[in-house]
Amino acid sequence: GHSHHMGMNMDMSGGNNSTMPPHHHPTTSSDHSHDHMMMMPMTFYFGFKNVELLFSGLVINTAGEMAGAFVAVFLLAMFYEGLKIAREGLLRKSQVSIRYNSMPVPGPNGTILMETHKTVGQQMLSFPHLLQTVLHIIQVVISYFLMLIFMTYNGYLCIAVAAGAGTGYFLFSWKKAVVVDITEHCH
Amino acid sequence: MAMHFIFSDEVVLLFDFWSVHSPTGMALSVLVILLLAVLYESIKVGKARLLHRALMNLSIPTSQQLIEEADQDSSSSDTLPVSRSPLRWFLCHFGQSLLHVAQVVVGYFMMLAVMSYNTWIFFGVVLGSGVGYYLAYPLLSMT
Repeated sequence: GHSHHMGMNMDMSGGNNSTMPPHHHPTTSSDHSHDHMMMMPMTFYFGFKNVELLFSGLVINTAGEMAGAFVAVFLLAMFYEGLKIAREGLLRKSQVSIRYNSMPVPGPNGTILMETHKTVGQQMLSFPHLLQTVLHIIQVVISYFLMLIFMTYNGYLCIAVAAGAGTGYFLFSWKKAVVVDITEHCH
Repeated sequence: MAMHFIFSDEVVLLFDFWSVHSPTGMALSVLVILLLAVLYESIKVGKARLLHRALMNLSIPTSQQLIEEADQDSSSSDTLPVSRSPLRWFLCHFGQSLLHVAQVVVGYFMMLAVMSYNTWIFFGVVLGSGVGYYLAYPLLSMT
């Protein structure tokens, strides 16, 4: 089956936030040197003020902006699931093509035998393989984005990721379950 | 935020209330994280098994039947003969989706736990993944 890419996304580079995220623990010290400890939230919170999202300049400040961000993240997570399943389908289709190469080979007693090589799969420069590679890059980028979004520890955005993934899985896997049965049977 | 692994008995994990200050608390937290990792591996196996059961619920036609059907009605090529038990198939698929949500959430929780850079917690995740894999994956071929 398709395993979630979670296990591979372990390279963390240090977060470099310059804005203070919402944090409901009161900071007793007004000393600037303590700001560095609270730059990135390390526990889940619900809030929509001053939420920085992935890119500098992309900051959520109102409920309306959070709603928009929720929808965008939801759709991104849905798209990610769809992309995974689309790639599986494409891979399955392109692996149906089987190439037979026959070549004469000297056999015992001076006879000539035909040795047949069967190759299943894609050539390096074939369109399906190049397409898979491009889709893979897109998939890796989106999976890292989703991880970084979850890393904001913002409750609304995390729920958007989980709900989008679940909905995407439900919708796209529905079709896949149908397709898998037909193709598995035929081969 | 420390950006290197440290051994420490103090950590705040995921939620504000999950604050650890003592060796006992740390041992308990490592155990919880370990069980979370075991759960993660089990969910993956559970999804695969549900998928298998969903496929079993579909009426799987023989190639002869497929050819006959293709001759008869060429209009509905996209619909599948879900004639045996559509409700059970739907429930299996819905169950898989719920498991998928759980898998995504637990997976991210484990990532965030590792991000605490606490070495004990990290060991808990790694050991839990190993134990979970060991216990759950044999169940994959046991249908």
